Amino acid sequence: MSKADLPGRHVLRGAVRGQRRDVALGALLGMGHQTGEALVPVVIGLAIDEGVVDGDVGGLLMWLAVLAVVYVGLSYSFRFGARAGERASVTAAHHLRTALVERVLAPEGGACEGRLPGELANTATEDAKRVGAVAMALIVGIAAATGLAVGAIVLLRMSVPLGLLVLLGTPLLLWLVHLLSKPLERRSETEQERAARASGVAADLVAGLRVLKGIGAEPAAVARYRRISQDSLTATLRAARAEAWQNGVVTMLTGSFLALVALVGGRLAARGDIGLGELVSAVALALFLIGPLSEFSWVYAELAQGRASAARIAEVLGAGHAVRAPADGSALDRVEGRLRLRGVSYDSLRAVDLEVAPGETVGVVTVDPADATALLRCLARRADPAEGSVELDGTDLTTLRLAELRAAVLVAEHDADLFEGSLLENITAAAGPDAPVEAAVTASGTDEVVGTLPKGADTEVTARGRSLSGGQRQRVALARALAADAAVLVLHEPTTAVDAVTEARMAAGLKELRAGRTTLLVTNSPALLAVTDRVVLLDRGTVVAADAHERLVHQHGTYRGAVLA
Amino acid sequence: MSDSAAELLPVATPARTRAAAAELLRPQRSLAVTAFVVMVGATAVGLLTQPLLGRIVDQAAERASVDAITTTAALLVAVAVAQGVTTGFGLSLVSRLGETTLARLRERFVERALGLPLERVERAGAGDLTARVTADVSLIAEAVRNALPELARSLLTIFLTLGAMALLDWRFLLAALLAVPVQVATARWYVARAVPLYAEQRVAAGAQQQQLLDTVAGAATVRAFRLERQHTERVTERSWSVVALTMKGVRLVLGFYSRLHIAEYLGLAAVLFTGYWLVRQGSASVGTATAAALYFHSLFTPVNAALVLLDDAQSAMAGLARLVGVTDEPVADRPQRRAETGRVDVVVRGLHHAYRPGHPVLHDIDLTIRHGERVALVGASGAGKTTLARLVAGIQPPAEGTVLVDGVPPTELGGPAASRTVALITQETHVFAGPLVDDLRLAKPDATDDELRAALDRVDALAWAEALPDGLDTVVGDGGHRLTGDRTQALALARLILADPPLVILDEATAEAGSAGARALEKAVARATDGRTALIVAHRLSQAATADRIVVMDAGRIVETGTHDELRAAGGRYAALWAAWSDTRDTRDTRP
Repeated sequence: MSKADLPGRHVLRGAVRGQRRDVALGALLGMGHQTGEALVPVVIGLAIDEGVVDGDVGGLLMWLAVLAVVYVGLSYSFRFGARAGERASVTAAHHLRTALVERVLAPEGGACEGRLPGELANTATEDAKRVGAVAMALIVGIAAATGLAVGAIVLLRMSVPLGLLVLLGTPLLLWLVHLLSKPLERRSETEQERAARASGVAADLVAGLRVLKGIGAEPAAVARYRRISQDSLTATLRAARAEAWQNGVVTMLTGSFLALVALVGGRLAARGDIGLGELVSAVALALFLIGPLSEFSWVYAELAQGRASAARIAEVLGAGHAVRAPADGSALDRVEGRLRLRGVSYDSLRAVDLEVAPGETVGVVTVDPADATALLRCLARRADPAEGSVELDGTDLTTLRLAELRAAVLVAEHDADLFEGSLLENITAAAGPDAPVEAAVTASGTDEVVGTLPKGADTEVTARGRSLSGGQRQRVALARALAADAAVLVLHEPTTAVDAVTEARMAAGLKELRAGRTTLLVTNSPALLAVTDRVVLLDRGTVVAADAHERLVHQHGTYRGAVLA
Repeated sequence: MSDSAAELLPVATPARTRAAAAELLRPQRSLAVTAFVVMVGATAVGLLTQPLLGRIVDQAAERASVDAITTTAALLVAVAVAQGVTTGFGLSLVSRLGETTLARLRERFVERALGLPLERVERAGAGDLTARVTADVSLIAEAVRNALPELARSLLTIFLTLGAMALLDWRFLLAALLAVPVQVATARWYVARAVPLYAEQRVAAGAQQQQLLDTVAGAATVRAFRLERQHTERVTERSWSVVALTMKGVRLVLGFYSRLHIAEYLGLAAVLFTGYWLVRQGSASVGTATAAALYFHSLFTPVNAALVLLDDAQSAMAGLARLVGVTDEPVADRPQRRAETGRVDVVVRGLHHAYRPGHPVLHDIDLTIRHGERVALVGASGAGKTTLARLVAGIQPPAEGTVLVDGVPPTELGGPAASRTVALITQETHVFAGPLVDDLRLAKPDATDDELRAALDRVDALAWAEALPDGLDTVVGDGGHRLTGDRTQALALARLILADPPLVILDEATAEAGSAGARALEKAVARATDGRTALIVAHRLSQAATADRIVVMDAGRIVETGTHDELRAAGGRYAALWAAWSDTRDTRDTRP
């Protein structure tokens, strides 16, 4: 626990330190504001004392003028103080958000492992916001302490017993409230979680609307939702009732405390120890002091939340790298495109040897899809082999700079995502100035996609390409991979979502476009394998055959099973 | 494919929204009245505090006895206790009222949303309904939980306090009302700016979230294509626009408070001055003047709260209008016909269809699928396979021609009757969040555990399902254990077996898996459709090869039909496709 706290604290401190000017300004102005708020009841008391009681219009007007000055002061300091505080909060959150995204996208990877995208996105929005909010909480805390101090000084100068009563009584009161509400809070937290389920389930059912309708499960879904909603309602009602009674108890305690202050103050005033105006001030101050004091519990809660969020952020920022990149890796001048695996063991792979000559097109067929995944991870350096090595033009991949390696060896995975932007922007995302974009569009069959869309290549693609059908998405993704024009291109099942006619076209286009450049086709599709120079068959993690596709189809039973079953 | 401006789901008018809110409250009228009365009582009791404090001031001025002051203080304690009890009781009544109504609203909404015709939802765009069920429902829930009770309480406090000031002396009320014009003007000024600004903020926050998900979920792709810089810039840009809009909102709110400070000062000065004048005239005591000043001072918090919450209430009303728009959508008046016999055959005659006028997708389709026959549709993308599948499934009526399923147009097989007759499974999949068994039971709520296992077993999913951390009780889907694409699709097939319809339409149901996964799924599809009439849109020819009959489509027409062997022998389009697919001359023996 304490160990996990440490990096979180570092994040928190960094976030506040980065905004120290705004935090200082906010704190200073916040102090001014609270002083003003504390003075308002005092001035009301003085106005009553020296104006109303004495019947002196001059005194009244004088104190009303003072009140005006106090108001102007507190109003402006609040306005600019809060602005500085909020600015500090949102700016700190913004910096954390960008830092998180930079870490997630770092070429070395490793930050996404074991975390769902939604969870990471949530850390980048909500957690970053909570950590930023700590800056504001600090300001509010400092300001509240000031209000408390001013109130204390005024009260003690008025009357020591009354001052002590208020000063000792208010924290006691808040402590009592805290004590009483603690069990309620704890209970309501778990209940709130249950209560939140109803909305989550509703969204989930709507997201699966097509599936529900496809099998006519709407009535079953509605019945289930009603049950969950009622369950949520029961939980919410319990939580809400607890909260309502907590509210009632706080009202009771505050009112009783006020009565006590009025009693002591009234007796002192009756004895003539304090003036009537002072009595009014004391009562009003007792009411006012509850404000800054209860701010403390808010500040405390914010800090606790901020700490928890900071720990989550620190965990992502400090996540171990999936692969280690050399700081001063070897540079690649001209990539020939010779790829070589020497005794690679990783995950399901066992001592795989594989050599691809420059310009060759090689198919890789795997009986178990896990072998394909493991191979691709090693080639993309999303992971390094446990044993053996992968070499490009005779250089071990681990000694190359990641950016250069990925420019030279492009691994286009089966589930590659498209991004928001136009179709053309997606296709040219990684294309150089003289990339064969036109040819890539034709070879990948994307020209047909462009033809059916009303705005052609300028059609906007929504997030992750969800506005396109699976087949369209796959062709656009292939066009993007081809347009990148990498020296070595590794394609993973690029045609699973397209029809046979289109697949045949894509296979032919691919062969033509990649002629003379190293291409690895990790696929079990015969249409694609037919255009390769030779095929390597992986079974149980090792290479069991290597030959031309046609010969393997005729001669190798396992191969035929994997490819044509 | 509809790309023209999406036709959003309707939004209710303000009048209709208010009427719907009243309808929702009606069953709890007596609870509403009780809650209101108790809250008025709680507020009224609380207002005895200031006059009692004033009385202590007066007693001190008169040098009254200690006992007299103690009595007044004891009364103050009694007031506090009474106020505490009534507040606790009243607030719990208010929350019961709000939460029960909210539950009724969301249940009704979900029921209607799931009942909307798929075609209608598609026309609106998928995001519309999702946004309503998430953002709008939580907007309203937030309001019901926090804003509305607080707003009601503040308004009660304000009105009763002003009443109490009038009771002290009507001239105090006049003085206090001096602040009102400033407050009204401020509120107007604020709401006019806040509503569009908050709408803008929500859009920006949504865009930021979207970009983050896009970037984070696609991180592997970003790295592979070295798009790190571009994506960091995109996130930074969207995040910064959220920051800028937040600051704009902060400036607005702070300006709002500054104006309210002016109102506070004006009112306070006027009340104090009135107190001075009335005391001098002898028509009020110092204690009364004190009580009036304290009353006014205690109005600051509720007035500020009420003005700020007006905005929340307003956006909750807007959210409610969007929900009511959906719940008011007329139920498609479908003649709920039942299939005529148990033997389900499909007859398509003279079918033409176009999504956009002038862009025909299907021409003159005639097709009969006999009971129990498995027909595969083959053809290039855009040949019209999916459209034909949708028309047979009854997602929408054809523009011209007839589709009959067991003698009845499928669009007229209303409600549950349709689901017992025809099921449609597409490549769009979803795993329902929750235990795996719950997901499966959506297809057959009363299925026994053995039936669930049997269904999973038939699609070869039992082994992995049992190997999940908690077996079949493992929480899957959003927020739970993530299933791969082919497992998700296997789950869809298991649901199909449980739903057990006589007619099945599968639209590229194996597309999301890699080749190896697709082969396993094809076997599962074969078993899941066994004994049913089936129309299968296949993009893998190996799947078509096992069908009873293959229908080849091109440019919206049927160009060939026959068995695998017949078509191969015919040497036409299918034979060419098959040759390209298998790239061998003697694949006959490799068919499964």
